[in-house]
Amino acid sequence: MYYIVYGMAQDESDEPGSPEKWEVQLRKGSLELAILASLWGQKLYGLEILRQLENGSDLIVSEGTVYPLLSRLKALGLLRSEWVESDAGHPRKYYSLTPLGKQRASDMARSWTRFSASLNSLLVPLGKEK
Amino acid sequence: MTIASDSQRKIDTYLRRLRQGLRGVREEDARDIVEELRSHIVEKAAAGGEVTTERLESVLTVLGSPEVLASQYVTDDLLAQAESSRAPWMILRGVFHWAMLSVSGCLVCLVCTVGYMLGGAFFLAALIKPFNPKVGLWKIGPDNYSLALGMTDFRPQGHELLGWLLIPIGLCVGGGTVLLTSYVALGSIRKFRQSRKLRLNPRS
Repeated sequence: MYYIVYGMAQDESDEPGSPEKWEVQLRKGSLELAILASLWGQKLYGLEILRQLENGSDLIVSEGTVYPLLSRLKALGLLRSEWVESDAGHPRKYYSLTPLGKQRASDMARSWTRFSASLNSLLVPLGKEK
Repeated sequence: MTIASDSQRKIDTYLRRLRQGLRGVREEDARDIVEELRSHIVEKAAAGGEVTTERLESVLTVLGSPEVLASQYVTDDLLAQAESSRAPWMILRGVFHWAMLSVSGCLVCLVCTVGYMLGGAFFLAALIKPFNPKVGLWKIGPDNYSLALGMTDFRPQGHELLGWLLIPIGLCVGGGTVLLTSYVALGSIRKFRQSRKLRLNPRS
C-alpha cells in the first residue's frame, strides 16, 4: 500500500509521462523564475505580473496559481509587498524583490542559462537529422 | 468606478467563501489575501470604469472555485505543520486540504482515513476489553470467514478469536497501523512539498 501511494505522489509531481505533460511540467517549473525575473528592477502588482508573464513568455499562467505562489515567495523572504492607493479607486498590492530575492533570481538565471546551453549542445544532432 | 449591486453581491459572496476557506491562516494574512483578490477582481472586471456582469462572471470563472484557491494558500502551511508535529490529527487536517488539490492528495487522504480508523479501532478495542468482555475479534459464523471487531456478540453461530490476547495484540496492531499510516503520509507529504519548493540552491 505504501508503495502504491508513494508511487502515485511521485507520479504526479515528478514523472513526465506524455510529451504534453512534460511540457506542462517544464512551464510550471519555470514560473517561479519568471515571476522573480519580471520583478527585476521594478515594483508590480499581481495583475501587472500576470500580464507581463502572458505577454513576455510562453508560460501557462493560471491566476489561481500565481497569487498563492506570490504569497509563498513572500513567506520565503524573496519578495516584499506594500499597499499603494491608486487612481482606479482601490488600493493595489505591489511586490518587489528583497536582497535575498535578487540573489536567488540571479542564481536561478545563471543555473538556467548553463543548463539550457549544455542541453542545447546535446540537441544539435537532433536538428540535423531529418 | 461604479459597481452594480448584484455584481457587488457576487464579489462579496466569492470573497466570503474564500475567507472561510482560509481558516488556519493568520487573521492579518487572510485579510491581506482577500483584499488583494478583491482588487484583482474589480480591476479586471472593470471596462470603461464600470464592472459589467459578463466580465465579472468570466473573471471569477478564470480564478476558479474560492475553496480550491483558499486550499492553495492553506495547504502548504498545514502540511508544514503536519510534518513538524507528526500528530495524526495534524496529518489528517493537512491531507484533507491536499485532497482538494490533486488526485494523489485524495489517495493519501483515503489511506490516512482508513489507516487511522483501523488502527484506532484496534487500539480502542484493547482499551475497552477489561471493562466489557463482549469486545473482541469475532468470527461471524461457522461457514463464514467474515470477521467483526468491536463491542458485539455472535454467539452461538460464531465465536471470539483472541480472548484476553486482544489487549496486547490490539495495542500492538493498533499502534503499528497508526504509526505505519503516519509514516506513509509523512513520506508522501515530504515528496509533495519538495516538488513544490523552489530549487533555490543550484549547484555552482
